[in-house]
Amino acid sequence: MTLLEVKNLKKTYATRFGSVKVPALTNVSFTVEKGEYIAIMGESGSGKTTLLNIIATLDKPTGGEVLLDGSNTLRIPDKALAAFRRDNLGFVFQDFNLLDTFSLRDNIYLPLVLAGKNHTEMNKRLIPIADRLGITDILDKFPYEVSGGQSQRCAVARALITNPRIILADEPTGALDSHSAEALLALFRDINASGQTVFMVTHSVKAASNAGRVLFLRDGEVFHQLYRGERSNEALFGVISDTLTAMAAGGEANA
Amino acid sequence: MRKFMFYPLLAARNIRRNRQFYLPFILTCVATAAMFYIMCFLTLNDGVRGMRGAASLTTILGLGCIVVGLFSVIFLFYTNSFLMKRRQKEIGLYNILGMGKGHIAGILFFESFFAALITLAAGLVLGNLLSKLMLLLLCRLIAFSVPFGFEVSLWAVTLTVLLFCGIFLLILLSNLVRIRLANPITLLRGGNVGEKEPKTKWLLALLGLISLGGGYYIAIVTESPLQAIFLFFVAVLLVILGTYLLFTATSIAVLKGLRNRPDYYYTTKRFIPISGMLYRMKQNAVGLANICILSTMVLVMVSGTVCLYLGTESSVNDAHPYDITVFVSNPTGTAREELRSAVREALAGGGLEMSAGTDLLYLTFYGRLENGVFTDANPYGTNAHNADVVLISASEYAGMTGSTEIPADGEAYIYADNARLGDTLSAYGESFTVVRRLEGYPKTSQRDALISHHLCAVVSDERFVRITRQFESPPVWYYAFDLAGTDAQKTAGYNAVVSAVGSTARSNGEAEAASGHYDYCNVTSRSDWAASIYSLNGGFLFLGLFLGIVFLTATVLIIYYKQLSEGYDDKARFAVMQKVGLSRPEIRKAIRSQVLVVFFLPLGMAVIHIAFAFKMITKLLLVLSLTNVSLFAVCSLSTAVVFALIYGLVYALTARVYYRTVR
Repeated sequence: MTLLEVKNLKKTYATRFGSVKVPALTNVSFTVEKGEYIAIMGESGSGKTTLLNIIATLDKPTGGEVLLDGSNTLRIPDKALAAFRRDNLGFVFQDFNLLDTFSLRDNIYLPLVLAGKNHTEMNKRLIPIADRLGITDILDKFPYEVSGGQSQRCAVARALITNPRIILADEPTGALDSHSAEALLALFRDINASGQTVFMVTHSVKAASNAGRVLFLRDGEVFHQLYRGERSNEALFGVISDTLTAMAAGGEANA
Repeated sequence: MRKFMFYPLLAARNIRRNRQFYLPFILTCVATAAMFYIMCFLTLNDGVRGMRGAASLTTILGLGCIVVGLFSVIFLFYTNSFLMKRRQKEIGLYNILGMGKGHIAGILFFESFFAALITLAAGLVLGNLLSKLMLLLLCRLIAFSVPFGFEVSLWAVTLTVLLFCGIFLLILLSNLVRIRLANPITLLRGGNVGEKEPKTKWLLALLGLISLGGGYYIAIVTESPLQAIFLFFVAVLLVILGTYLLFTATSIAVLKGLRNRPDYYYTTKRFIPISGMLYRMKQNAVGLANICILSTMVLVMVSGTVCLYLGTESSVNDAHPYDITVFVSNPTGTAREELRSAVREALAGGGLEMSAGTDLLYLTFYGRLENGVFTDANPYGTNAHNADVVLISASEYAGMTGSTEIPADGEAYIYADNARLGDTLSAYGESFTVVRRLEGYPKTSQRDALISHHLCAVVSDERFVRITRQFESPPVWYYAFDLAGTDAQKTAGYNAVVSAVGSTARSNGEAEAASGHYDYCNVTSRSDWAASIYSLNGGFLFLGLFLGIVFLTATVLIIYYKQLSEGYDDKARFAVMQKVGLSRPEIRKAIRSQVLVVFFLPLGMAVIHIAFAFKMITKLLLVLSLTNVSLFAVCSLSTAVVFALIYGLVYALTARVYYRTVR
């Protein structure tokens, strides 16, 4: 069943006086099935973040459409966008984006509080998630008191607690050491195994080699895509590396 | 040559580039420099020194100089530290890019140099332009004709230049020390060092409440004006301490208490504001307390001095009910008739007419009045029970009122103004039964505003003489009247009376030549008195308004800087919230409620302070001979309203800066 459908997405940034137009996405189309774990790879400037922002409804495309469960997210009125994000999307960012003013518990509660849930319900949802992510003991600490890995797990908890249709992760391992990164990737696999759709943008071959499918973006277009098939993480790692090398050498698309 | 110009150019560029921070800083400097110049100018001005009552006025203005000077030092330091905090990143970057600390010191030196140059040039020009205006205002307030001409006071210029060069030097030094102590990484991270959540300090929170409560308690229970003078400072210190503790510790304790109630805390309406306030309180508690205290000071100063000034006329009337007062101590024999006719002749010679006033011989003594019982002990007690008694003999009473009924021996007629006296009065070994209570207290200048209760008793002639005999000071004759005509004619009349009888003493030696004698005779004019009071109260008002403006400017700037810095801090936070699912209107609402609380908390607190201080200030005004409580109520209220309006305006303007920053 198709969860997310991206059709002929275009995005052009204009400079302040509109004289120079810089294309970020020229023509991107792909679909994401429910329960898939998909990674987007590409160099800096390939349009990864623009793509993610558009899917996240944080930015609007110049052309094309994005369908979530068949409904066009671009048609959602501005007023309802925040609620839409809150109810359907879960975010994990490179720099965690936890709020210093809140304890970890309150950071995780944030989207639920915004949705007007009561405290008992919030607590009921938090307990299993915190247990699964191993953050039960640090819930009452503040973001500046815990390590990067712990912060990121807390951010994942915040993304999961609303039971979103899709998790959008932007370089989730970017700010983590290799141990924490490994643990986080294991967590993502685990979450995905329990049926959660994950959409991840990354630089890291290691991170991408955890996904079920890898899309390669270059100059604003989907240049290539890889399916895991029966490959192990290590095997996929190798294939991704080869693809990147080929792309860097200037090979043509063969998707 | 290029190398030589490098620092100045870079420094100039930095000032331009950071104008959002630098412009208010330089404006503050210019404004404080101008104000300091004006204050010095007025204190040293020959015209002001030549005014009537100049001594007290110069003292008041000199005090103003010191306050403005001290304030300039403290406030410029405060604004500078804010400026530097915001610029840490930039300076860290210079360091990383290979500039040594010496180079940075060079840039900072030139920045300070330019800032000082602009400040002094603009400040002195502005000060000189405004000084004439301020002189006009001062002259108008103290009802004095305005001296002509425009002058630049070299002394005032010198003082201003010295003070501000000193301040800039100190600021530069503190900045250099700050840089020496820091390493580039901490500089680069600048304001974003992980803020720890404030700890609850129960002891301090409690102390804050106690201190504030103590201050309020003193303000409420103090009855005696003389006690009020001393206790007012105690109360002010307690309230200032209490305010600081309240903002720093108590607020955090309360907010944490709220946060610990999940069902209350976890709602959209309260979740963000409470945590935001908690976070802000740590950074801004001192700033908020400062704003609160400055606001209170402005309110007290302006309302007090305005009230004092507006009440001048009535306090002059209290002290000097008539145009001319002849005060004669211990007149005997025919002294009264002689003086009276001398005064009449002097006035008639000038073609001046006098109208009826008070002509009364009396004895005054002080004591205490408690529960309707008067005791002549403890004449100058410092509490609310002190009272004075004006004692009149029966024949004097008959002469004054034309009444044929007079009190018999052992009886007393009583005029009780605001005093409640029982049915007996005893003083100096004599006791009387009160047989009649009279209306209309005789008008004399014997109305010390510090005395809470005033009594006037009429007793039989024999008793009057008996009390006089055992009393150490003799009876006085109060002879006061109004004159018809213009102010010039009144002055002429006063001069005529003075030359006829004024300031003379007729001793016993001369008594043989004249049939009557007296200890001394003193003539005073109401207009002289009014002028000295106007000069004093006008001086106070001027200072009150001037310092009010200075402190208001300070408040405005603190608010501006706070909004700006908070805007930068909140920008990232609200960006995250937007991603997690907070809509723009919701963000706007959250920001507004937070900003409103932070903004109006100090104002609300200041108004509460004023409300509690009200009674005590009325007591203090009594010391300055102002008895009109409702006038002060009106002044306080209108000052508060005007202040709130200005404050609101500043809020509206700075909130825009904040929103622009956050967006």
